[in-house]
Amino acid sequence: MDIFGSFALLLAFLVTVYAFVAGIVGIVTRRTLVTKSARNAGMAVFGLITLAVASLEYFFFTDNFSLAYVAAHSNHALPLYYKFSALWAGQEGSLLWWSWLLSIYVFLALFLNRKKHPELMPYVGVTLAGVQTFFLVLNNFVASPFHVIASADSAGVMHMAKLSEGSGLNPLLQYPEMVIHPPMLYLGYTGFTIPFAFAMAALLGRYPGEKWIHITRRWTMVAWCFQGIGVLLGAHWAYAVLGWGGYWAWDPVENAALLPWITGTAFLHSVMMQEKRGMMKVWNVWLVFVTFMLCILGTSLTRTGIVSSVHAFAESSIGGWFFGFLGIVLVVCLAAWYKNRDYLRSDNQLDSLVSRESSFLFNNLILLAACFAVLWGTLFPVLSEWVTGSKISVGPPFFNKVNVPIALFLLFLTGVGPLLAWRKTSVDALRRNFAWPLVGGLIAGAAGFAFGFRSFYPLVCLILSVFVTLTIFSEFYRGARVIASRDSSNLITAVGELTMRNTRRYGGYVVHFAMVLIFVGIAGSAFNQDIQKELNVGQSLTIGPYTILCQNFDQPSNDNYQSDRATLEVFRNGRSEMMLYPERRLFLASQVTETIVANESTPVHDLYVVYAGRSPDTNLPVIHAYLNPLVKWIWFGGIVLVLGTVLAMIPNRRAAIVLRAATESSWGEAMAQGASGSPATSPARSAPIRRSDSND
Amino acid sequence: MIDAMKGTKRYRLGMRAVAALFLAMIFVVAAPTSRAEDSPRAKALSKKVMCMCGGCNDTAGTCNHTGGAFSGPCDTAKAMQKEVAQRVDRGDSDDLMLQSFVQEYGPTVLPDPPKKGFTWLVWIAPVVAPLLALLLIWEVVRRWRRRVALAPAGGPPISAELLDRARREVDKDSDE
Repeated sequence: MDIFGSFALLLAFLVTVYAFVAGIVGIVTRRTLVTKSARNAGMAVFGLITLAVASLEYFFFTDNFSLAYVAAHSNHALPLYYKFSALWAGQEGSLLWWSWLLSIYVFLALFLNRKKHPELMPYVGVTLAGVQTFFLVLNNFVASPFHVIASADSAGVMHMAKLSEGSGLNPLLQYPEMVIHPPMLYLGYTGFTIPFAFAMAALLGRYPGEKWIHITRRWTMVAWCFQGIGVLLGAHWAYAVLGWGGYWAWDPVENAALLPWITGTAFLHSVMMQEKRGMMKVWNVWLVFVTFMLCILGTSLTRTGIVSSVHAFAESSIGGWFFGFLGIVLVVCLAAWYKNRDYLRSDNQLDSLVSRESSFLFNNLILLAACFAVLWGTLFPVLSEWVTGSKISVGPPFFNKVNVPIALFLLFLTGVGPLLAWRKTSVDALRRNFAWPLVGGLIAGAAGFAFGFRSFYPLVCLILSVFVTLTIFSEFYRGARVIASRDSSNLITAVGELTMRNTRRYGGYVVHFAMVLIFVGIAGSAFNQDIQKELNVGQSLTIGPYTILCQNFDQPSNDNYQSDRATLEVFRNGRSEMMLYPERRLFLASQVTETIVANESTPVHDLYVVYAGRSPDTNLPVIHAYLNPLVKWIWFGGIVLVLGTVLAMIPNRRAAIVLRAATESSWGEAMAQGASGSPATSPARSAPIRRSDSND
Repeated sequence: MIDAMKGTKRYRLGMRAVAALFLAMIFVVAAPTSRAEDSPRAKALSKKVMCMCGGCNDTAGTCNHTGGAFSGPCDTAKAMQKEVAQRVDRGDSDDLMLQSFVQEYGPTVLPDPPKKGFTWLVWIAPVVAPLLALLLIWEVVRRWRRRVALAPAGGPPISAELLDRARREVDKDSDE
């Protein structure tokens, strides 16, 4: 079976190299058959890597410890679903997983577009094959998961050996979220390869217009959404499992996952400039290039441990390969852009500074500033050591100081941007759109101040959150009111109708609202309280409105772990509210300690109680209690974010009707001709006529 | 004499009494007072030094990482928290404390890089870079607006027919 797996992987490498070379040959010689063959090869890679993954999983499921990778990350006792997820518990498996997820995207992109875009697809295929080749080189020749365990006999001859038991999976990874967090994040990282490939294809093929953006919009949103879920799940896992009362520590690997998400966000916004107004073409191409490069950088930071991080499970020499690949990508991007830059000229001009266009410019500026600040802080220790020879640290305070003001400005733009009209917004419209939300925000701010909100940033965040929420709701309300009065339906139905007519716009608002929820949750951390105390039986500690009384502590241990557990009764206003059982387990096989946090989570706050160990002086249990306001809003915001993204991907209701009409009647033909017009001859033409979303 | 008493009931009772007394003393001595590490100043200060275990990127006050596992402060962080607490008890000033940490561990102990020399760049770049970008945007916007006056805008050499077809295909393919 190991030979089967590694053979499939090797074959995948050869086939993807063929897809790459034949793709180029097909483009140069313009031979359709060669191009088709290259495309089919690109799709076949998916099948081959699937065989390799299945073969490795077979080793995990059958407890066959003859492979070093399986022996290092599994054992007999491991539950079945963790045997499945053990595939990506280490370096080699993670890279194979990356390759496999990428091959799924590649297969889908090539298959779904097999009869479309004949000018673009050959270039797309070549670009995708190029990226896939790099990862298959790693899978086959640098970090193969199919290394067998060998031992030498007395004569010094090497034999294959099989261990009777593996070393098991890190207990911290034995948590339900750890089964889904890495795949989500990797689906994000790999997913951005598709828009990258289309952008590269449009540039190399000198394909005019906004077609690549139309084709990749949903792909980008899928990748963006997965990346967002991945980041949030990681944060939730850290919060629920690590037991330090927080969810984000500006760890290099967390930062690395955030970076492509930020540039992806910028890209999702700025493409609208190109779609509606034919502007920012160079910028969009570069944004997607940078996003892809940040994905590769993120993967390499996770896998190479170049920056010290809790996530760098395996430090290795693989960094050279990643940075070599990044270098090649950068050179190819620069060359492609330089050679074809003429094709990226803007069609339009800016009419007014108070317009949707300029708000997008600001949006991108701020997002990129945030991205730069995070990247800069993450890599600065490496840079500093390289330049001055002395190491320095850039810790969490730096990131908070720099990013909080940037994030708040972004929140402000979230409220302002969507309400500005394209081209030019009149003073009247400004007043009409913003007066009430602004008043609402200020009232909330004043109320907050009166109730003792005295710190600057949380107060600003409160004002802006209310302001943005009101602008979003007023948008829904105004649109729905028009529909309701016309169709004489009720407002709720009208909101549904409105949303389904322009899912992209209103889905976008839902995502914005999700961001408000997340911001509110994060702002809550300014009011975190915590207390740590030794507690004997019968003693108590007080935090916020709660009094925590220690009822008992015991050691409920089994073969797998030794545990220290406290039984705590929580009182609020003298009334017993609940029992909490924080625990600390020492896993015997791996000698790893795990904290089992007792967290009572409500929308108002989390009472988060940790058994912090025993005091070395008194041997009494130390209880660390946190009162973290509003944390739940972050996770709830994550759910809303996914809903909004899915909504924005659903086709518009009216567009479907228009499409049907277009294919059925001559009126449709007239529409299509009207839409295409004769744009190239008119230099000062306005944006090409788009269908139903022309106002978003 | 004592040997003779060993094993008798009275001896065992006596020993239990001694043990009980001893335990009671422990509890009296270790009355659950808050630890010195928990004073607000010690807490704030422990967040101003990095945990020096080398495996994380956290401050000693927020470390959540026990050598390879991720739970609670690691031993290095705990020792550092204790050192901070001792110095707070001793009445050291913040500066003196941080300086002595730098002497002991080197400049990496400071989570905020010093705002001088090369490391000044880490602070200044996130401010300067967006400002430069803003200037750039300003320039781009100026050009965009100036282009209104120019006719024709020097469109790229794309045939009208190709652009036409591309746009038609866009309309056909996309459904939004």
